[in-house]
Amino acid sequence: MPSAAEFAQTIKSGELIESPSEMTPEYLRELKHTLIVSGDTELISAPAYYLAAKRAPSINAFMTGIAIIQDELAHAHIAYHILEELGEDQEKLIFSRDPKSFRYPYAFDVPLESWTELVVANGMYDQAGFCLLGDIHDKCSYGPWKRGLNKVMAEENFHLRNGRTWMKRISQAGGAAKDELQRAVDWMFPLSVEWFGLPDTMKMHSTQLEYRLKGLTNDQLRQWWLSTVVPYCEEIGIKVPAHKGTNDGQDLWELDYPFPCEFDAQAKRWDFSKPITWDDVLARWRERGPRNAEMVAMFQEEFHKFRKTHKNGA
Amino acid sequence: MTQRLWAALAEVQDPEMPVNLVDLGVIYGIAEHGGIVDVDLTFTAMGCPASDFILEDVRERLLREPGVREVRINVVWNPPWTAARLTPEGRDALEAWGLAV
Repeated sequence: MPSAAEFAQTIKSGELIESPSEMTPEYLRELKHTLIVSGDTELISAPAYYLAAKRAPSINAFMTGIAIIQDELAHAHIAYHILEELGEDQEKLIFSRDPKSFRYPYAFDVPLESWTELVVANGMYDQAGFCLLGDIHDKCSYGPWKRGLNKVMAEENFHLRNGRTWMKRISQAGGAAKDELQRAVDWMFPLSVEWFGLPDTMKMHSTQLEYRLKGLTNDQLRQWWLSTVVPYCEEIGIKVPAHKGTNDGQDLWELDYPFPCEFDAQAKRWDFSKPITWDDVLARWRERGPRNAEMVAMFQEEFHKFRKTHKNGA
Repeated sequence: MTQRLWAALAEVQDPEMPVNLVDLGVIYGIAEHGGIVDVDLTFTAMGCPASDFILEDVRERLLREPGVREVRINVVWNPPWTAARLTPEGRDALEAWGLAV
């Protein structure tokens, strides 16, 4: 095991870390934490998307939805597989954890209930995933993960395409279809903005950045996301509560509502007249949302049932 | 003209893999008569989740060619697509991406 000083030097030099023997215990802990968030996010997106993909408007759309879910499960598998190589028990991680201890973005806990909401998730949540994973793919100091993300990025692109193509199609249809799309964007946009976490002004120190597990700060990632989603929504005639401003001659995307603010998960409605604190947000995240237990049960229940009925078998 | 149309479709990327449709070997034939283009194409799998996107991209790209006023796409399953239909460039692209072909 390297000394803390040697390890800091390796990280600084830009070299990749390839195995646990090259890590400090602190790095290993932070790497595992980052991988668990990534694996949990990909895994839980499968039931979240499945419950909406069932409402696809055509066989081909259903196939696309199912293919996206298969991709997400494969991406989860990459993260959990690396965790296993780092000494974690994959089976325990997936099947024996309490639903509330899963570490995925709160957004997935709010039910996606229509094809329209699914394609907005493809356009917005997958864009968030694309920014977060793209950054890791670009900058991550852990070689096996960085390389594992090569194909993931191409597949996330496909999900974005599904989201964007359908959002445009629905918007062009106009009438009630477009109204439904606007309603979906109204609650899903702020949830995606929140996805990137505490603003940089409140997060003075990031171990993930220090260890080069990622390269961009929360606000930089949020800006990247806004710079792709806001212009696209405007292009297809969908309103979003953000606009482009400038700061020292640089583009700066600004939100048109207090951030963070009150969200009613049952009604899927934001109250822009009620600003809240980040402590309130973190408390809501910890409590988890409406669909947390149901989604985790979707894959845990059958696993345990199967185990029980087969315990005396092969 | 048909040559120009083949070149146009060589600019259309597969939505899932970093390879264009001509190098992927899914375009079986292109014919043009008086501005009407008939394309025979197939998919790499019957359950291709990207088939809608591919049809849309082919139609949209060909309609951008001067002299094309209508595109008719005929999806064919015979002969079935296999990796043998990849061009050497297509094979290189997929191998570089990490797909065994």
